[in-house]
Amino acid sequence: MAAPRSNREFVEACIAAGDAVRIKQEVDWENEAGAIVRRACELAAPAPFMEKIKDYPGFSYFGAPLSTYRRMAIALGLDPATRLPEIGKEYLKRTNGEVIAPVVIDRKDAPCKENVLRGADVDLCRLPVPLVHDGDGGRYVGTWHAVVTRHPVRGDVNWGMYRQMMFDSRTMSGAVFPFSDLGKALNDYYLPRGESCPFATAIGLSPLAAMAACAPSPIPEPELVGMLAGEPARLVKCETNDLEVPADAEIILEGEICPDYKVEEGPFGEYTGYRTSPRDFRVTFRVNCITYRNNATMTISNMGVPQDEGQLLRSFSLGLELEKLLKSQGIPVTGVYMHPRSTHHMMIVGVKPTYSGVAQQIGQLAFGSKLGPWFHMVMVVDDQTDIYNWDEVYHAFCTRCHPENGIHIYRNSPGTPLYPFATPQERKYSIGSKVVFDCLWPTDWDKINDVPTLVSFKNVYPQHIQDKVLANWAAYGYPPVK
Amino acid sequence: MNQWEVFVNDVKELAEDRELELTLRTLNPGIHKFTYQRVKCQLSSDLAKHVDQLQVRLGRGQLSPSRFSIRVLGEVQRLPAKYL
Repeated sequence: MAAPRSNREFVEACIAAGDAVRIKQEVDWENEAGAIVRRACELAAPAPFMEKIKDYPGFSYFGAPLSTYRRMAIALGLDPATRLPEIGKEYLKRTNGEVIAPVVIDRKDAPCKENVLRGADVDLCRLPVPLVHDGDGGRYVGTWHAVVTRHPVRGDVNWGMYRQMMFDSRTMSGAVFPFSDLGKALNDYYLPRGESCPFATAIGLSPLAAMAACAPSPIPEPELVGMLAGEPARLVKCETNDLEVPADAEIILEGEICPDYKVEEGPFGEYTGYRTSPRDFRVTFRVNCITYRNNATMTISNMGVPQDEGQLLRSFSLGLELEKLLKSQGIPVTGVYMHPRSTHHMMIVGVKPTYSGVAQQIGQLAFGSKLGPWFHMVMVVDDQTDIYNWDEVYHAFCTRCHPENGIHIYRNSPGTPLYPFATPQERKYSIGSKVVFDCLWPTDWDKINDVPTLVSFKNVYPQHIQDKVLANWAAYGYPPVK
Repeated sequence: MNQWEVFVNDVKELAEDRELELTLRTLNPGIHKFTYQRVKCQLSSDLAKHVDQLQVRLGRGQLSPSRFSIRVLGEVQRLPAKYL
């Protein structure tokens, strides 16, 4: 099965697999569509494809596009039933392979150019921008999208998923953290010069393009899409600037970021499951051109309590990128996993505990890396603990993590204003705190006399007894174990 | 009659019967609902004093029970000329 090349192919593949539903009755863009997506997220239900939107004939919504591992497998062209560890292995294999550069196609072949609005015709209200949550600071244009920019000096391209609220017909405001690629470019280059920064927002991306925009990979996103898909991403040049955007995207907004002019943004329901960051003056995006496909579909991510695609995909990619980083440093890791229900705040690292201090070394590398601001807890368990099995991890944490010696705190590190536990001062200045939970037996303990023996079915019984019990389980009168 | 909404951290920010500069969003039905304007305006807790009505939300989106009537005196242009 090939990876879907566009959002449209992805919708069809999800419907065929029973992982999306067509909603034919009219849906209101004010709260109703958001509520459907939210409930689908909380139930891990099929993604809603809403074909009829109040006030916006011809447009549709696709919500919760990647909020389950089944849909992630479909996005990668895998069997929907593929288990998470195998999906992870596939991601690592593809992203450790040869770089596949994108191709730039002629605008006449680019579906995203089927409709072009310029000048006085530019009005964001012509698009079905949803009010995602009641009480949000505005209608959010960008919830599952890519903001495309190019570094003014280095020239490297960045696709980032920076949320964007519609402020007025031509203006959006968004949260751009100072430690992000775009935040650094704005603060280091554009703001001191008083120059505007060209941008394009692409909405209704292929699922792999969205995955790339969401992933904290050092590989430039257009190349990363190609590596994930196994074929070059198709890009097309913008109408009003030199940026290139995914040609098969549903909607493209072009314009400029005004680094010295900020307008109000938020509050917004966030990936932590709360509205945490206050309404504030944030980065301003002025739109000067809109292009879109015929019968365009707007993608909606509804962030809130677990689990939505932001939590799922960020957890997935942060974990795997950290695994790559730790292995590149020679750390004897056996796996890294972030449970989406941690709202990508807790990294679980499996390691062969062959030397003392390895848990702290992992924490220092993780928190000191570019990935670090996105999570604040690292839990290190041994290679006998199944990192995907929360029962085992929780048991290890509660029984092996010494309350004094096993908890290591790092103060005054980069954080995000979205941390619900952070003080107002910490939120304002993106200050974080981090913690490592060392759930390894100390290496200086005598392995025979000091280290407790794990009392479990698979650990304390001889193999032939285990085999006998498993073989006779049904004969004993028990139902089969799933 | 126009319906407006404002976000504030504290309702005390909304002083009555003097000129204020606020960022309001329209609640009038239609495709432009929830878009913002920066305006000069006057408020009153007497809901009959002005024709237009204002409802209030607090910092995390909670709807406040406070209601005002409002008179919009004019729009304020904040956007620097170089971006116009």
